[in-house]
Amino acid sequence: MNSRDDSNESPPRVVVTGYGAISALGLNAGCLRLGVRADTSGLRTITRFDATDYPTSFAAEVLDFDPGAVLDRKQARRMDRFTQFASVTAREAVAHARLDVAADSTRVGVVVGSAFGGVETFVQTADTMLTKGPKRISPFAVPMTIPNIAPGMIAIDLGARGPAFAYASAFASSANAIGEAMRMIQSGRADTMIAGGAEAPITGIMMAGFAALQSLSRRNNDPSQAVRPFDLYRDGCALGEGAAMLVLERRDQAVARGATILAEFAGYGSTGDAYHDVQIAPDGDGLARAMSNALEEAGLSPGEVGYLNAHGTGTTMNDELETVAIKRAFGDSARRLPISSTKSRTGHLLGAAGALETVIAIQALEDGILPSTLNLETPDPACDLDYIPGASRPQSIDVAMSNSMGFGGHNVSLLFRKPSGF
Amino acid sequence: MTMSSSIDRSPSHANRRRVVVTGAGGLCAVGNDAASIWRAVAAGTSGIAPITRFDAEGFETRFAGEVKGFDPASELGRKESRRMDRYTQLSVAAAREAAVQSGLDIRSEATRVGVLVGTGMGGMETFEAGVETLLTSGPKRISPFFVPMMLPNMASGTVSIDLGAKGPNFGTVSACASSAHALGEATLMIRSGIVDAMVAGGGEAAITRMGIGGFNAMGALSTRNDDPEAASRPFDLERDGFVLAEGAAVLILEERGHALARGATVLAEIVGYGTTDDANHMVQPAPGGEGAARAMNIALDDAGVTNDEIDYINAHGTSTQLNEKLETQAVQRVFGERAGTIPISSTKSMTGHLLGAAGSMEALITIAAMDASLIPPTINQVTPDPDCPLDTIPNTARPGEIRFAMSNSMGFGGHNVSLVLARADQRAP
Repeated sequence: MNSRDDSNESPPRVVVTGYGAISALGLNAGCLRLGVRADTSGLRTITRFDATDYPTSFAAEVLDFDPGAVLDRKQARRMDRFTQFASVTAREAVAHARLDVAADSTRVGVVVGSAFGGVETFVQTADTMLTKGPKRISPFAVPMTIPNIAPGMIAIDLGARGPAFAYASAFASSANAIGEAMRMIQSGRADTMIAGGAEAPITGIMMAGFAALQSLSRRNNDPSQAVRPFDLYRDGCALGEGAAMLVLERRDQAVARGATILAEFAGYGSTGDAYHDVQIAPDGDGLARAMSNALEEAGLSPGEVGYLNAHGTGTTMNDELETVAIKRAFGDSARRLPISSTKSRTGHLLGAAGALETVIAIQALEDGILPSTLNLETPDPACDLDYIPGASRPQSIDVAMSNSMGFGGHNVSLLFRKPSGF
Repeated sequence: MTMSSSIDRSPSHANRRRVVVTGAGGLCAVGNDAASIWRAVAAGTSGIAPITRFDAEGFETRFAGEVKGFDPASELGRKESRRMDRYTQLSVAAAREAAVQSGLDIRSEATRVGVLVGTGMGGMETFEAGVETLLTSGPKRISPFFVPMMLPNMASGTVSIDLGAKGPNFGTVSACASSAHALGEATLMIRSGIVDAMVAGGGEAAITRMGIGGFNAMGALSTRNDDPEAASRPFDLERDGFVLAEGAAVLILEERGHALARGATVLAEIVGYGTTDDANHMVQPAPGGEGAARAMNIALDDAGVTNDEIDYINAHGTSTQLNEKLETQAVQRVFGERAGTIPISSTKSMTGHLLGAAGSMEALITIAAMDASLIPPTINQVTPDPDCPLDTIPNTARPGEIRFAMSNSMGFGGHNVSLVLARADQRAP
């Protein structure tokens, strides 16, 4: 009853049959594809609150988002913004996959990664408590804040009754969610997983918190030029918001129901640095092991990877140490590997970054167009690989990788390949 | 027997990798280490008392299950502990205790040891204080430690740094089922061969103004302010809500052959894990306990254990009207006629509700109970609830062999987890 043994594939192969995305580049995955290809920047001066007094006053906001246009209006009001993003993108992904969740609901699970959960709700609640007292707190404050309410509400909205919970590994959260979802299908615990991430951190408290860590670019007079991964004059990341969800399913099920297979899941590596709460281990060992583990699981050699979507936050430390890690994992192939960071366009979606960048990497596989790294004008001698400067590059590839790292020393690498008929 | 739900590549129970517990550490309202917690639970002692962590005047509920006498500076170092939220401090202390007991030399096989510490709320105290600073003093007064300290993955991250574990590392978040998920997922990671050992469990420290105020707003907490020790009364007719508590419980899980080869003492075996979602309501369990029952059945199936082999159930038993009604129905669905006679207790009657750390704390207690052949009680049983016709081990512990036990957890969002544990001497070799 808990699993099925109707396939000769052991473990079952896992494919991607749908995705959805909301980001500063637009309200669906089609907008994301066009925005990435057109080298559009989504960074602008913040409109969600008055950020005048903040060291950094820009971010990658989602504009013109009306959750009530997609979801039940009353239901949407009882969701924090991160859950609204998650629910809308999950619907998009399921529609894209033409998946009928109700047909086999106990075999469909939902996992979502979020670094913070309902920040906006938490801040409003704290404000209410401090100014009006505890008895004015809303009964929805706790459920709207907790990070697991995103998978909980998606499960309710779509009727998915398999395993459902959230993953937390800071900025690798949704990459872990996608990798672990793949494992759940491999192990027979589910046939289909809706997996991804959501984040809505553009609030005063998080802008102040990341500014205090010196993580954010302060190029306030020129937001579109601010995030410059791998550039010598990079001065930090920018916060972004949004969500991305994938539909992962057993390949034999996808074939049987005539679904379009967009990519095949090839490998997943997840490691810990055990080094420092916010710094990356200087030898890049943790991320390198994650990449090597993913390659090993896929049975691929480093030279077979056609594109790497880097974590590439645009901070001095990240881009330099990620380069060290890539060289460690890829050896001589590192110099021939096209790499880019799309955070220069979307900002850093924190816990949702891994999922959004997985969608971008799969779109690169589908389209044969590799996204560029925006604003890479003066190469940093410490970052001496091919980061696709200038414009997006037409190039057909068979295998794409996406890297994510998070405070706490979490490293994740995900590997996808073009679908094959065999 | 149907195929197991393990992620190993071989379907049968017979040749899959087995997962044993070789260390356990914990802190909660009734004790600051695993042995003290067990002694208090076995004696039926309540740890519930008036709140001291903040001035609770003006709150509807003014008591909780606080960890008492824990001095983070002396336990963890003055500088280090100041850079951790309380939930992380408690998690690191519990993980150290578990690691010491297991005798596992984590650093010598660092990449084969992962960490999975779940939490429901993360660094609540830090989050709250940060927002207060922002509102009163402005954005430039926020500390650089604010973000890392409040993050819900930081217990996992900090434990990995403290113990030197470099394998897979993240947190599971599913409200009050978080650490039960952590134990289950960690078990599957060992079975699959990705790692040989996992440091797994949960930590929570939500006895804050927002924690108490937020759950009060939902009408979820007991308001029995005149008698805190009698407030947590799961299954009793007069129950009026749960009692918020804090703490952490962490286990060292290890592949059985790995543990035996190094001569480790095996405390118990995790043999079954089931997880489902209700897909029903934001905060209410599904009618009839459907989702929870499904999780129990999956866990039994995974364990290869029939429902009449279960000698004890550690219930979720929060002490809310709705939980126990529906949990009783779920147990009845799975255990049928046996439901009324199988020993089932809620140790939350003594520890309070540790939210995200509840599942691992209750696994720790269940393991100790199996070892002692003593079934822990549900205290504060005065008036039986006709809707809960169960053997709740009222008020005093009862001697009894426990070969296989089940521990259940449920969380807001409709998350259900069931774990099946086996006593160390079962199924050998």
